[in-house]
Amino acid sequence: MPLVQMVNGRLSMTKLIGLLVLLFVPALAGASGGSVSAFSAPPEVAQGRQIYEQYCAACHGGQGEGATAWKKPDEKGEIPPPPHDETGHTWRHNDGMLFKMIAEGRRHPFNKSDRLTMPAFGESLSDQEIGAVIEYLKTLWTDEQREYQATESQ
Amino acid sequence: MRSIVHSLTRVTWHFCLLTLTVALPALVHAQPSADAQSVKALTTSSSGVLLVLRDNGLFATEGGTSTEITLPATDQRTQPSSLAKGADGSVYLAGPGLGVWRYDGAGERWQSLNNTLPNLGVTAMAAHTTQPETLYAYLEEGGMFRSRDGGAKWMKVDNGPEEPVQAFLHSDMPGSMESGWLFAGTTRGVARSMDCFCFWGDAGDLRGTVSAISYDPAAPENIYAVVEGQLHHSADGGETWISLTVPQDVTALAFSPVQGLVVGTASGDLLAPSADGKWSPVHD
Repeated sequence: MPLVQMVNGRLSMTKLIGLLVLLFVPALAGASGGSVSAFSAPPEVAQGRQIYEQYCAACHGGQGEGATAWKKPDEKGEIPPPPHDETGHTWRHNDGMLFKMIAEGRRHPFNKSDRLTMPAFGESLSDQEIGAVIEYLKTLWTDEQREYQATESQ
Repeated sequence: MRSIVHSLTRVTWHFCLLTLTVALPALVHAQPSADAQSVKALTTSSSGVLLVLRDNGLFATEGGTSTEITLPATDQRTQPSSLAKGADGSVYLAGPGLGVWRYDGAGERWQSLNNTLPNLGVTAMAAHTTQPETLYAYLEEGGMFRSRDGGAKWMKVDNGPEEPVQAFLHSDMPGSMESGWLFAGTTRGVARSMDCFCFWGDAGDLRGTVSAISYDPAAPENIYAVVEGQLHHSADGGETWISLTVPQDVTALAFSPVQGLVVGTASGDLLAPSADGKWSPVHD
């Protein structure tokens, strides 16, 4: 079935409005920072974004783009901050693991220094605030990635 | 007339006897014993018996005696090439054209696990070391697949390393964000990823086509890999490697609860290192 139907050789008004909605709503959702529209995003997403920008963006990038060459360990064996958007692997971890990572931090096993590869934020952020950050990160993923992560979180 | 026929019969009989006398020894030599066939893959059963995949079949080897295990009845063009032992002791067989099969020891039969795999081109497989229902398969045309229900449902999880995978291993080495690590032997060396499939990176700078890979379950940082017949050992989870001298070309690896590291060779032997580092036949 064609997306737009012609009536007597002209586009019907109803179809035209439908086409405009199809064209512009995804663009508006993209402008708000992710592929989830503002209408379907949980209310804590805005809070999570604010916390992300304050605590996470300095290392992981303002748009969750991560460090360049993040897959290559540095001379100390540390992995640079990975992206949190669809190009990274955050979506492969369940909610519990993401919460633990943010709260407790993580030291990469092949890190040759003593410091944590990812710092712990459990004393800076409440459980609710960490949860809000995770909800915000989910807006940076594709639908398929969100579906995969939801399955992993079950 | 009768004497002519009789003479002809005698000549024919002698010719047949002569042919058999000359040809039989040659035929016997053309069928070498099972143990002389190159070892393609190794694993152990739940009871610690060595299972040896050779060109001429699969054999359970214990106390110097080999018993053949009938392979799945499949197309002649299939190439059994991988063996794996699951966390519950189940034995798995895989290969190009074969897909993945599980051996039912009680019923002495194979069960196909291929219903939801997109094709049968499995070049390597691995079983999770602590989760009996979790299996991994690498398809040359398809990438990495994982099943969490014993092979009933497979799901693509990743494309895998950049180079094709020849050997595959799951390890419970500590430090993973999930439940363990995956080591993939590729045409470029060993690739390593946490079992969340976060990303595949080089495990050290070992280079070449890896044909077999194994690890020590009692000391999981110890990884062993075969590159073009040469055995290599890493004591730090794949960060650095040293080569080990084995008197023959190595083709397969396994960790036996009885003998420890066991290698299969191109000559068909099974060797294990003794405390002084010398390699001896496993059942001598």
